[in-house]
Amino acid sequence: MIKRLLLLVVVLAMVAAACGGDGAEETTTTTAAEDTGGQVAGDGVLAEVQSRGVLNCGVNNEVFGFGYVDADGNFAGLDIDYCRAVAAAVLGDAEAVEYKALTAQQRFTALQAGEIDVLIRNTTWTASRDGKEGGTFLTTTFYDGQGMMVKTDSGIGSIEDMANTTVCVQSGTTTELNLASRFAAGGLPYTPLTFDSNDELRPAFVADQCDGWTSDKSQLAAFRSQNPDADGGPEAWTILAETFSKEPLGPMVRDGDTQWAQVVDWVVFATIQAEEFGLDSTNVANYSGDNPEILRFLGKEVGDPPTVFDPGLGLPTDFAEQVISQVGNYAEIYNRNVGPDTALGLERGVNELWTRGGLLYPPPYR
Amino acid sequence: MTTETKTGSVRPPFWRDVKVLRVVAQLVAGGLAVVLFLYLARNLRTNLTAANIPTDFAFLDQPAGVTVTGSDFKATQPISDIILLGIKNTFALAIVGIPLLTILGTLIGIARLSSNYLVRKAATAYVETLRNIPPLLVIIFTNTAVILSLPAIRDAATPFDLFVISNRFLAIPWATAQDNSGTYLAVLGIGFVASIAVWIWRTRRFDATGAPHHRFLWGTGTFVLFAVVGFFALGRPFTLSRPEVVDGRIIEGGYQTVGPYVAVLLALVIYTASHVAEIVRGSIQAVAKGQTEAANALALSSFQRLRFVVLPQAFRIAIPPLINQYLNFTKNTSLAIAIGYAEITLVVFQAIGNANPAPQLILILMGSYLLFSLSISLLINFLNRRLQLVTN
Repeated sequence: MIKRLLLLVVVLAMVAAACGGDGAEETTTTTAAEDTGGQVAGDGVLAEVQSRGVLNCGVNNEVFGFGYVDADGNFAGLDIDYCRAVAAAVLGDAEAVEYKALTAQQRFTALQAGEIDVLIRNTTWTASRDGKEGGTFLTTTFYDGQGMMVKTDSGIGSIEDMANTTVCVQSGTTTELNLASRFAAGGLPYTPLTFDSNDELRPAFVADQCDGWTSDKSQLAAFRSQNPDADGGPEAWTILAETFSKEPLGPMVRDGDTQWAQVVDWVVFATIQAEEFGLDSTNVANYSGDNPEILRFLGKEVGDPPTVFDPGLGLPTDFAEQVISQVGNYAEIYNRNVGPDTALGLERGVNELWTRGGLLYPPPYR
Repeated sequence: MTTETKTGSVRPPFWRDVKVLRVVAQLVAGGLAVVLFLYLARNLRTNLTAANIPTDFAFLDQPAGVTVTGSDFKATQPISDIILLGIKNTFALAIVGIPLLTILGTLIGIARLSSNYLVRKAATAYVETLRNIPPLLVIIFTNTAVILSLPAIRDAATPFDLFVISNRFLAIPWATAQDNSGTYLAVLGIGFVASIAVWIWRTRRFDATGAPHHRFLWGTGTFVLFAVVGFFALGRPFTLSRPEVVDGRIIEGGYQTVGPYVAVLLALVIYTASHVAEIVRGSIQAVAKGQTEAANALALSSFQRLRFVVLPQAFRIAIPPLINQYLNFTKNTSLAIAIGYAEITLVVFQAIGNANPAPQLILILMGSYLLFSLSISLLINFLNRRLQLVTN
């Protein structure tokens, strides 16, 4: 009988101990949980990616020009090219990327859960996302702004004409928040129609279920350019002139791994720096000049005695050359995906080098 | 010898006593489950804290920052309000959808047993088609083929000048309260009580004398009398409000709803009705054949046979599986997220997308559906107990 009681006491004690430990204040148990957590990586994402041999990149799959699946079934776009650039820098192979197509709502959870190493999915950098989503935004790869697209024959010429309209918007995006602020500021009553993805939003706009479609202007331009002739072609849709928000789009990584954040940051800087140096995928391999800054940038021997410059980012010294030869510099990436010669036809605008009055300004590589 | 029989009845030591072992096994299993849960919960919290993601529910008081389709929700209202609105919208689907799908499902279930070849085959085709398509596809199909194909609001159809039908908003005429409307509602209440009293009186009289009771006619008649006399006596406490399209953009007056609501309602009603039809058919067939034959022997018409003999017994059998379908309907409303109806799943995911912590919000979402499911079960189980055969 006493033994039986003892057993009971042991079991109860176990439960009690577990309950008591719930306070998470005792350091001994907390560290145990951290070790098994996996989120707080001890070795870092960089080492993890290198040992895995492939980069898990969270992307969009439905915005032409940024992240989409092309006619051959391959991922393509400006964001996709930055996934490839990171892979080229870290692994030396731009094709060593595993793309994970995510909806706007899934993206942060996927990053928090470690499903992806980096999120490059036309994601706007905002304070609360930086603060509350467990991630850190890095260098902006595309400076965008929110706009409004309407049917050309709707007679709507500006946002002020849009009282009492219905506006289609993607849920869980900054555009949704800006829409509410913009219409509230204008004293314009409106009905939002929120969709999980652009693929579901588009038919609603086509069928006039909503008068306007609001999103980043680049996305609107992408969908406008892809409007089939059956629906009137691109001319049937008009993007209003007003830009009513700042939408800096760039990569995001998990909080707490500075090394990995720096790696991704410097890959983006490298593409911009290359354009500034006049290096592109055609001429980088046979660079024969003697500009020490360029030689240092490309990881070639420079100085006397000749040494290879290693900034200590944890990247191979020739990472810039890999990125540029395999993916290209910023201008190449831009023009290939969204530039004036593509269906989107976006001018560089503020996405221009600082030397030409734009916002792209890479820190010195030294 | 007597001592031996005694020792045989003495209980074995506790480590071989089945009773004790059972209790211990339960305790150990329960304890392990608790420990595992606490471990996982703490692991989550530690990692969230390490990743700088809030673990409390303070975000519920933050402004939602968004507006919602088909409501006057303001962007400055807190997130807790938008969650309540989502729950209300899910409820609006369930409360209208469940009666509709029950009626439709019953009709089709009966049609499946019809002696008319065409009716029978048509019902079979309906059931076999819809039952075998995932509900999400039914929703997207209904939205694209039915709702989006309706005219745009500036060309909205206005049959009889009473309804407005467009792919954006749909509206029906509705009553607008004037002065005295409160008094009138009280009169209606009295009328209702009076009609029940008349019903009971007619039933008692029938029990006592056997004269035809016509209690339905008497009861409704009483209520209608109160309603009509009260309406004019109080000087028309309600007037009809007809919906009208304004500027080709919005509807004023009437009772209006948004296209996605109708799409989801329609899709899930026709989808779930196909399952209900099978339940009804099975339940009817489960009623002993002798009951039908007895009804025929009494020369009841086929309607009387169904209404008074077969269906009451069939529904007893049908109720437990019907609960399942009601629960399925309610849970399937979460698919409305695909076409933009702001039910609870949509608003929760919207909040997650707008930099609010996912674990807490998902917990709230799970709790909401649990609440829905448990209330429906509770309600129907109560009904089930009332309708069960008394077997003692």
